[in-house]
Amino acid sequence: MKKLILISALSLSVTALAIYSSSCTSQREIAAQKSGAELWGQNCIRCHNIPSPAAYSDVEWETIGLHMKERANMTKEQIDKVVMFLQTVN
Amino acid sequence: MKKSFILLIALFILGNIIHAQDSKSSRTQFMVRGYGHAGLDYFKTPDGTDASYVGAAFAPIFLFKQGNRFMFESELEFVLEENKLEINLEYANLMFVINKYLMIRAGKFLLPFGTFMERLHPAWINRLSSKPLGFGHDGIAPASGIGLELRGSAPIGGSTINYSIYSTNGPKLKDGSEEPEEAGMLNFENYIDNNINKFIGGRVGYLPLNNSSMEFGLSYFTGKVGDKGSIYEDVRASLWAVDFSYVKQISPIQGVIDIKAQYNQTGVSEAYYPEDEEHRDSTDFYTFNNLSRAYYAQLSYRPSMAGNMFLKNLEIVGRYSELNTPEGSDWESNINELSFGLNYWITWRQVVKINYGIVNSEGGHDAEEGAGKQKSNTLFVHWAIGF
Repeated sequence: MKKLILISALSLSVTALAIYSSSCTSQREIAAQKSGAELWGQNCIRCHNIPSPAAYSDVEWETIGLHMKERANMTKEQIDKVVMFLQTVN
Repeated sequence: MKKSFILLIALFILGNIIHAQDSKSSRTQFMVRGYGHAGLDYFKTPDGTDASYVGAAFAPIFLFKQGNRFMFESELEFVLEENKLEINLEYANLMFVINKYLMIRAGKFLLPFGTFMERLHPAWINRLSSKPLGFGHDGIAPASGIGLELRGSAPIGGSTINYSIYSTNGPKLKDGSEEPEEAGMLNFENYIDNNINKFIGGRVGYLPLNNSSMEFGLSYFTGKVGDKGSIYEDVRASLWAVDFSYVKQISPIQGVIDIKAQYNQTGVSEAYYPEDEEHRDSTDFYTFNNLSRAYYAQLSYRPSMAGNMFLKNLEIVGRYSELNTPEGSDWESNINELSFGLNYWITWRQVVKINYGIVNSEGGHDAEEGAGKQKSNTLFVHWAIGF
């Protein structure tokens, strides 16, 4: 019972946060306008240091992009922008 | 063993040949990545001291991408254990992108039960040289499984939600027939289905901020664990975890702060185990409330905005973790660990880690009877690289 209450409370908190966020138009706009460079700087660092764009070739970044989309749970828009940025500046 | 190693070398060379030829993009891409580490481990326990070079662990990751939607990925781990080369298949799975919100994976994959084992355990990513208590050998949380998974992520306003639901063969209950002192533990390294029942699990992660700096996650994993046809057939395990992450470069403190935490709880329904192996056919059975808990909280800081090059590559890290296993079981234990580390980042993917740990433990199936509380100290100096 205790566990059920805790899980329910956590689920409700996550849902409430989701509803709050979805109602915030400016946040949505900011997120949508993020460049590949910003997303690269903000997402890679969640687990490891920010990789050097020069570390891999254009083709390799495509492969790594698909691998990291899955591993880091990034959205398609986010990973596409990051890969394009890395391919541009490497 | 030798054949496997030769095969690996051949694959590695093939990868490099393809790498050298890939100046143009093609639909088929093959890549070898991975990581390795080596170092010195020092232990001081009530039984004595031990210091040994460890090493040259090598974990190649093979990525085979076909088109923009299909990928096969696999990781092997080569490590020397007591003078013998051990080879483990960490994961090997096929992955297909169904649409922008969903992908499917099949095979052996790292389980998104919390985040440590799926994302943070590689030596060049883990800020300390050891895993938190509760993970790894004799741990209470799963690392990988064989099965099928649907996963994805989607934006919700300025925030992001990610999700995963999966089914695997699941862990197996140790009934004490092989090691009586481990009766009631779960064997997470079992990948063969020992009953018809499949484990079901999932994780929901939520990143409330538009800069993705914060993430909350909730994971659940449940199924039957007893052998089919045995008295343990209906014994069920239910596991859940909560994880948290916050990583952000903060100007006033001139650097990056990284907070990670995870709480795991593993429960196994009531079962009766024989007192010992000799009495398996007798009526001397015992039971206990089979509930284990483990958690860790880690904080690291790197002055990445410092003007001095040496300083900006330094990182300090501290972690507290705790593991409590069931009272009344032969593997009852209460362990806590406090670790500190000083890391120097040679490049973004190469690090030298100096870690010191204090471990306080009581019980455990390896402990001598009446040993009471014990204190151990560890010192690890490791050099890790991701490639």
